[in-house]
Amino acid sequence: MTTTVDRLPDVLGLSIPMPDAEERVVGTLRYTVDHSVEGMVHGRLVRSPYPHARIVDVDVSGALALDGVVRVLTGTDLERAVEIPNPYFGLTRRDQAPLAMGRARYVGDPVALVIAETPQSARDGAEAVMVDYDELPYVIDPMEALAAGAPQLHEEWLGNECGEWRLHRGDVDLAMSQASHVFEATYTSPMANAVPFEPHVAIAAWEDDFLEVWTATQWPSAVRGELAHMFDTDPGNVQIRVFPLGGGYGAKSQLKIEPMVAVAAKMVGRPVRLELERDEVFLTTGKHPAVMDIRTGVDEEGRFVAREIDLVYNGGAYAVMTPKAVAQGLLRSIGPYRFPNIRIRSRGVYTNTVPSGSFRGAMTNQAAFAYESHADEIAEGLGIDPFDLRERNLLQEGDVFASGQVMHDIHFQELLHDVAAVIGWGDETTPSPGKAVGKGIAVIVKTTPPGTRSEVRVEMRSDGDVLVHTNSVDMGQGVLGTLAQLTAHHLGVDIGKVRVQDPDSSTFDSMTAGSRTTFVADHAIGEACESIRRQMAELADPDDHPGPHTAVDYQEILLGAGITSLIGEGAYQSTPSDALNNPLDIKGEVADHWHQGAVAVEVAVDVETGKVEILRCHGAAWAGRVVNPVRARQQSEGSIIFGLGPALFEEVIVADGQVTNPNLSDYMIPSIVDVPIELTSSSLESPDRDAAIHGVGEMTIPAVAPAIANAISRATGARVRQMPMTAERVLRAIVGEPE
Amino acid sequence: MIRFVEPRDLQEACAVLADDEWGNKVISGGTALVLMMRQGLIAPSTLVNIGRLQGMDGISRDDARITIGARATHRAIATSPEVMQWIPALADACGRVGNVRVRNVGTLGGNLAEADYAADPPTVLVGLDAVCHVTGPHGARDLPVADLATGFYSTSLGPGEIITAVSVPIGEDRVSAYEKFVSRSSEDRPCVGVFATARYDGSSIEQLRVVVGAAVAVPRLCDDITGSVAGDALDDATIRNMAAAISDAIDPIEDARGSAWYRRKVTAVLVRRAVEGVSR
Repeated sequence: MTTTVDRLPDVLGLSIPMPDAEERVVGTLRYTVDHSVEGMVHGRLVRSPYPHARIVDVDVSGALALDGVVRVLTGTDLERAVEIPNPYFGLTRRDQAPLAMGRARYVGDPVALVIAETPQSARDGAEAVMVDYDELPYVIDPMEALAAGAPQLHEEWLGNECGEWRLHRGDVDLAMSQASHVFEATYTSPMANAVPFEPHVAIAAWEDDFLEVWTATQWPSAVRGELAHMFDTDPGNVQIRVFPLGGGYGAKSQLKIEPMVAVAAKMVGRPVRLELERDEVFLTTGKHPAVMDIRTGVDEEGRFVAREIDLVYNGGAYAVMTPKAVAQGLLRSIGPYRFPNIRIRSRGVYTNTVPSGSFRGAMTNQAAFAYESHADEIAEGLGIDPFDLRERNLLQEGDVFASGQVMHDIHFQELLHDVAAVIGWGDETTPSPGKAVGKGIAVIVKTTPPGTRSEVRVEMRSDGDVLVHTNSVDMGQGVLGTLAQLTAHHLGVDIGKVRVQDPDSSTFDSMTAGSRTTFVADHAIGEACESIRRQMAELADPDDHPGPHTAVDYQEILLGAGITSLIGEGAYQSTPSDALNNPLDIKGEVADHWHQGAVAVEVAVDVETGKVEILRCHGAAWAGRVVNPVRARQQSEGSIIFGLGPALFEEVIVADGQVTNPNLSDYMIPSIVDVPIELTSSSLESPDRDAAIHGVGEMTIPAVAPAIANAISRATGARVRQMPMTAERVLRAIVGEPE
Repeated sequence: MIRFVEPRDLQEACAVLADDEWGNKVISGGTALVLMMRQGLIAPSTLVNIGRLQGMDGISRDDARITIGARATHRAIATSPEVMQWIPALADACGRVGNVRVRNVGTLGGNLAEADYAADPPTVLVGLDAVCHVTGPHGARDLPVADLATGFYSTSLGPGEIITAVSVPIGEDRVSAYEKFVSRSSEDRPCVGVFATARYDGSSIEQLRVVVGAAVAVPRLCDDITGSVAGDALDDATIRNMAAAISDAIDPIEDARGSAWYRRKVTAVLVRRAVEGVSR
């Protein structure tokens, strides 16, 4: 039955400000870092100064003698604590303890936690803790960690193995042998830090067997599940509360400091708060360092006939997500091109460094830098325009991805044409006296994370308010506003009546990550709203309220039926797939849908110093349908700004196992002055009003570095295969002086 | 616990500082000191705040010099009409320190006393024969800026001594230029800074000076190399040879901003650009 009613104008596609925009601007928005709990005490970690050491003894007497120090916890305490049946945690491998037990595995590995009445006494206490270490051989370089005889990090995972995945399709050796040309190169990228403004901060409080944790996390549902496991309790006994995050960018994915506060609060019987200092944020997580070898066979016309990829990701001292993430790393190393023959090996390796974790554009930035730089190297080698080479090889609607999956909703050609048109590909470069000027392009694909679930509960009240419960986290991307717009869209109600609640564990969401929330929430909210409509239809007198309903209808129906509220539930569950069942033979459906993006830049290079200036930059994301144009633009352009740092100068430097630049003076992030004056973006949409809504949070960042690398090469003839492309590296490439 | 002392006058400040040469530190803008404390590089027991003392932040001029109070901020110097008119290269260098938030609180005296090699103003001040006015427990003295820094984060200031002002000679027929090179973010400290100044007699150069900073532990005055240039026309070959000689002569440091190899390369480029910038 189709009926038309007097609907409100659709809010989808309108730039409605975030509901908390004013609070954010004037500084009254509450973050976890602002939160406190009655009677709480404060934690301060004592960290290992050695990359690898046996913990012989921890002398806590000096700390305990200080005023205000309540307790000092060590790994030994955790081993003996009956309150903590399962002290090890981890979402892929339970190989990490809140405090190192027996062995410290990297510089910064927490070995003791001082709990005190004030942050200052906790700090004083931490300085008074004396740890006796027995140093062990350590390994920092992942290639060395893979070699025979290398120091071993975990007894259970020999060879420092932290995940290995393979994919093959066709006959790579035959195709390579028959190819007209074969190109080969190695591309590397180091650890980078996401530098969220708000550091990691968490408070845990127990009341009997009930645990409540306030934490700045992107993954509240995962934190809840894992804490429940640690204490061998039902997840229903664990409540995770999340305020809006002061930045996440992946750094607040998985579990970070939540196990420490939960354990400490249990053992001292008081709420415990822990806030990391900036240098500790650098010692807690970072982008996976990666080395990627690519070999590509091409025919005379520049069509890719075969590719071989060997990819090594440095996982650091603990698994976190690495064993699974390297599978995504494999899939995200393929790029947006057709390969009839392809063979890939992707490995994660344990080393005595900071545990690697999610980082905006996770497992894609490293690979895209490699494959899009490589694409230009091939074009240059063949004397083909890089635009033409891409046009010839880009995946199209209905093509088969390397895993064997038939691809739909594919728009790489549109993205390539969009960025090329805006940057003026083929036109003269911008005059820049004394400098070499060049343009570069890059196109990327990112697979959506597999096996995820999101639940939504929408409550329609008789006073006209609509409450939306999700476990999606606002980390500055404006998710609360976006979900409100989707709810208003699906219900046809005034957006002013819709309130999206902060996450509170009442619904499940795998993560706020991977640019998946808008896409999955549209499905889940659509289902929840559909449920409300159905229930309304049953309650309504068909004469008074035919068909779909306006907000006024809803209220009248509820009041008429004497009901205060109706609840509609919806969920999104990614398509089940057995593609990842066999790690050594990935095959089948690897993505619910495909994240697609492109970037074009024009750079000016000072050829005497190697300094790169970004003159112009344009990014494009396939959005399908845009929920909120301003926010979509902020995502694409924010992604570009975020990407400039790792592309040009961000690098967590490790010397003798120690991070030497864990502060914002020695680790530089882009300043506003580094942002190109001409920074633009496109969010490409389908004419189909029912087209899938795509996430746009990370569609430009992976393409930033390779587009810059390609522009540098076209400006100067010099190819930089190592991120960041510092002025020194560019100059070395220009004058041919290796490091 | 750190003791925070607010002295009534300079003498008291000097006296407190002299009590404990290593434990007691003077604080004004705090941009350098607090950073070092947070990194655990220093752990002072007492901070002597001179931020509330009267004076010490003015900028004045007579016929021979401009005198800048040690507590004058980089921003105050960069935007001072006197400095902009008479020592534009110093205004330029101060205007490119850090970012506006740092410039707004960081002081010239603090910049000099920190003796961080990665700094801009000292390079300019050394080239202009600027002099620090210093007060200590035993009275006042003048100390050329060129003699202030003795190495990484170390100075020739005695126990209890505080820089109160910096005098910069003016009045000569001079053209100066400061070339700052940052290798990372635009708000980074310099990887290399080069100051060039030429004293002219009409169109002929009487004296050419070059100072290389940030690439080396303390600003390197290159009179030994540029001295022979006086009177000569600064043709392209002369400038290039001189830049190469300076690049060879310096003892560059290596850090995250660049290797020694790179700093030599950039120094040669910046010397050439700075000297070209002071050619008439």
